[in-house]
Amino acid sequence: MNDGSDNPVSRRKFLKTVSQGTAAVATAGVAGGAMHAAATKPSADTGNNNGKKNKVQYGMLIDLRRCIGCQACTVACKAEADVPMGVSRSWVEYVEKGLYPNTGRSFLPRLCNHCSEPHCVRVCPTGATYERPQDGLIVIDQGVCIGCLYCAHACPYGMRFLNPVTRFADKCDMCIHRVSKGLVPACVNTCQGRARIFGDVNDPNSEIHKLIARNPVSVIRETYGTQPNVYYIGLDTTDENTKKPGQYVRVTTNKANSPKRT
Amino acid sequence: MEQHLMWHWPIIGYLFLAGLGAGAIAVSGIVVLWAPAGEFRHRATLIARLGAYIGPLPVMVGTALLIFELGRPYRALNLLTSNFWFMAFNPSPMNWGSWFILLFCIFATVYAFTFVPWRTLLGGERGERWEARGERIRSPMAVICVPLAIAMAIYTAILLAAVPARPLWHTPVLWLLFTVSALSTGLSAIILVQRFMFRKPGAVRGAVRREDPAFRVSEYYLVSMKVLLIIAELVVIGLFFMFAHMTINSANFAVQTLLPGGELATAFWVGVILVGLLMPAFIEGFYLLRTAVLGHEFEWPYVINVSAPIAILFGGLMLRYVIVVGGQITGPIGI
Repeated sequence: MNDGSDNPVSRRKFLKTVSQGTAAVATAGVAGGAMHAAATKPSADTGNNNGKKNKVQYGMLIDLRRCIGCQACTVACKAEADVPMGVSRSWVEYVEKGLYPNTGRSFLPRLCNHCSEPHCVRVCPTGATYERPQDGLIVIDQGVCIGCLYCAHACPYGMRFLNPVTRFADKCDMCIHRVSKGLVPACVNTCQGRARIFGDVNDPNSEIHKLIARNPVSVIRETYGTQPNVYYIGLDTTDENTKKPGQYVRVTTNKANSPKRT
Repeated sequence: MEQHLMWHWPIIGYLFLAGLGAGAIAVSGIVVLWAPAGEFRHRATLIARLGAYIGPLPVMVGTALLIFELGRPYRALNLLTSNFWFMAFNPSPMNWGSWFILLFCIFATVYAFTFVPWRTLLGGERGERWEARGERIRSPMAVICVPLAIAMAIYTAILLAAVPARPLWHTPVLWLLFTVSALSTGLSAIILVQRFMFRKPGAVRGAVRREDPAFRVSEYYLVSMKVLLIIAELVVIGLFFMFAHMTINSANFAVQTLLPGGELATAFWVGVILVGLLMPAFIEGFYLLRTAVLGHEFEWPYVINVSAPIAILFGGLMLRYVIVVGGQITGPIGI
């Protein structure tokens, strides 16, 4: 008290200044953090599966044991999304391998993986491609897209293409117009063998969550670190580029614009 | 092969032209900043002037190519205006590159204007005033333009190198390759243009005549620099192949397209290595060594003087072609 009575005004002033300064710093920190959060992805902690427990993340599980390669999903996608001639959003690859009599043929339906760490979103120069915060789907804002196709190069799955009609980058959007109304995507709806399961992979009560938890599942090109949300049961990773000498492998992509898998 | 190329000649031309312009400005700025005072000062200013005149235009033409290659060209400004804060945190190299292009075009144009001979153009007191202004801001502009030009040259490679899904592009040496190539093509453009400008003695007002020993000495230095850059580029190409060969993954698979038997082997080994690098290096090296070893005055035939820079420019274009196309026809292996 004695110290305070010596110079109470200056002490009060000091405290006031300190509190104001602290408040200012705190505000700046919050604002900066909010700004950063708004600028980067809406949920920065979705990097691993532990962090996204409470977040809705739509995904797909494709049970390749049930796939018969009928291309009904390819046709349904084409019709549903009005995809122009010459390009495809979704297709089924035929993988043939072995020499008679030990041969095999498997099918690999391909669609956008709606990755949790998407390369396409990182390279988009305008922010046209983004992850929807409500369901984790990767979509393209056609009001912003300039059609530079940088995203098409960045995608390790070769999912993106230039729509020849709209002249924007285009890809599978998991039928957001259907799933936002509670329906399943067109390819899931039409699948003859019920090989495709759609749902929230983070919801413990969903069918897809249970199937992923109870079965040996794998994703495509896991080493790229993109954390895809399309899972496969019984995935055959045979590729023409990685076959061993003397092995016969033939991959037919049935992709309209390219015979390449990427 | 052609059907799934998403980036083609406009992008290849852009990468080449941006490298050329950035290289010319970088060489010009370095000459302005580091040229020694003395009898060659005037000559150095002339070289710097040529580089400054050459620089901005190819970048602008290349940017126009880039814009018209977009799916929606009239939306090109979205690159700069889509969202201000997003831009500040945007990791996309294309976004950063579009800012580099914008700044480069502005500063390189201002820099080029400092070299305009206002005294003879305007005359009188106004001419003197503009001339003094130009000389005053020339060095500060060079200080800004050299890092910008280097950033442009590096960005053209980072644009490609930032995508892991293209193994041929996704290498840590690509920026070095493109930067060295940009400098050597920029220098070649300067050498080529100065031959045309000084073909007749006194064709440009105030120019040093061809008979002037200063001209020969400066040309000797320019050509030496170019041969050194060619050697550096060969070393970097060696590093590029070494990097791909030391890995057992998609990069190794992708580089097979450039090696003998690959789809782009002819374009690479004939277009880039033989025509673009080895032939000019040997021919120019012969005339350089004649001066350096035997002590002859530096003199070379008109045909060689014109064809060697053109070969290097062609090699630079072919390098971009091979990298851009090769990256797209290969991809990650496995599934």
